[in-house]
Amino acid sequence: MNTGVAGTASRSLASLRAVLLVLFALTSIGPLLVLVVQSLGGAWFFPALFPEHWTLGAWNLMKSGDALPGALGTSVGLAMATAIVACTVAIPLGRALARLRGWPRHVAAAAAFLPVAAPPLALGTGLQVMLIGLGLGGSAAGVLIAHSVPAIGYLTLLFLGTFTVFDARVEDESRTLGATRAQTWRRVTLPLLRPQIAEALIVGFLVSWTQFALTLVVGGGEVRALPLEVFAYVRAGQDQRAAVGALLLVIPPAAAFVWLRWAARRTVVPFS
Amino acid sequence: MSGRAHQDASRGGLVGVLLALIVAAPVLAGIGYAAAASAGILGASADGASTARITRVLRDPATWSGFVWSITVAAMATGIATFAAVTAAVVFRGSRLTDRIGLALAALPLPLPQLVAAALGVWVLGQSGLLARLAFAGGWISAPSDMPALVYDRWGVGLVLTMAWKETAFLTVVASALLATRTKAAEDAARTLGANGWATFRRVTWPVLWRGLMPAVVSVFIFVAGSYEAAVLLAPSAPLALPLAIADRAADPNLARRGDAYVLTLLLLGMALVAVAAHEWARARWEPLAE
Repeated sequence: MNTGVAGTASRSLASLRAVLLVLFALTSIGPLLVLVVQSLGGAWFFPALFPEHWTLGAWNLMKSGDALPGALGTSVGLAMATAIVACTVAIPLGRALARLRGWPRHVAAAAAFLPVAAPPLALGTGLQVMLIGLGLGGSAAGVLIAHSVPAIGYLTLLFLGTFTVFDARVEDESRTLGATRAQTWRRVTLPLLRPQIAEALIVGFLVSWTQFALTLVVGGGEVRALPLEVFAYVRAGQDQRAAVGALLLVIPPAAAFVWLRWAARRTVVPFS
Repeated sequence: MSGRAHQDASRGGLVGVLLALIVAAPVLAGIGYAAAASAGILGASADGASTARITRVLRDPATWSGFVWSITVAAMATGIATFAAVTAAVVFRGSRLTDRIGLALAALPLPLPQLVAAALGVWVLGQSGLLARLAFAGGWISAPSDMPALVYDRWGVGLVLTMAWKETAFLTVVASALLATRTKAAEDAARTLGANGWATFRRVTWPVLWRGLMPAVVSVFIFVAGSYEAAVLLAPSAPLALPLAIADRAADPNLARRGDAYVLTLLLLGMALVAVAAHEWARARWEPLAE
């Protein structure tokens, strides 16, 4: 009897697994295929299931003086600068916060999460006034500062986690053996933290890379990053160009996702 | 702890909290500015300290219908994403090839920025989108207008489905990591003590999974509620989602009404503060279990 019940349950689970597999395949791959087909298709009107013809026209715009290549360059520059600024600030902050215990730790973690949770539009509305006051409204430097705010929040939380389990005794041993603070940092701490710093740089890059509302509000439409161009194309119904821009937006996060999964499998944990 | 050590720890705690407040300072300054601008003290439409603007905006039914709409849509998207993610993580928790493929498929939309997800929402769910074309091919509709409006619709179905689809990926990754690392020993103990599969899930797996997942669920809720790009591409014009209402008022041709945007910004930031408190509460409950 029990064997019968177990057999029925096992068959039900197998059926559920098969249904879910098909469902996830359709809902995950289907929309992504739409993106690829949209970028390679010519006229594609209702009710056609496929475009009337295939063309690389929208992709060729990347070689011409179109807005997309410029926006791509702006986004790459902003994202790289944001990653470096945020990482530089977040490492010492994360380390300081990791030493906290009790209520100060909770207050600190909540404070670091605030810029992450604050809706970008609301954050931008407050930042815009300050940056205009500093003469940075509508400038790339202003947008960089704005992007750095949530990025520092993310990375501080990341390094808070890293330093919570970091075994600082290796640094003590290095100092005992006569190394200076700088030597210890360069020769001991930095090599141990290299995977975490690489991960943080990627996260910082992606936080900036995907920002739309902050760039729009603080950049005032003057700083034309990739998300702004994609948005403009979607609103204008220029689906082919929008799809090319959208695919360009997806490539770095997708590459990062694959790399992070691969790195997680081979990380040797140097922590206690 | 000696008096000196206690004093050092207190000082260290204070310094740490001050450092953390530096991270939060831009947001806190934004809240301060929005509050001052709402009260007519600062900003382009400052007209002397008064609570008149705050009262007017908060008494406007459109404010609250937009606020409730934003919260409801975010709650529904988060709820669907949580259910789908837990189901995927539990069903595909084995080590077979189909399990790995199932989890990979569920996590596939993870790298998509919200803007791209929203654009896909338009292209798939719109009245001449992929679903409508499939419905036409299947003979269920004969024109785009026969397709139910899933984008810009009153109930935000398109926005809910799109955000749930995108956030399922993130929650699946978190849930499957929790199942792989945090529940195994307790589940084995429960099974050894005679609990069946369902009882083990209900009494052991789910409580641990939910506690670990809760901070991520709170994050998803506030990300969806505060998303401007998804709302502007998928949400209706009535009721106006809170992020859209802020942008709308900030660009109001009537300059005197532009300051209303700051009152709405305060509402949105208030929502974020509640989410931060909930996130930290959830994280603090999880921390002892994670060690």
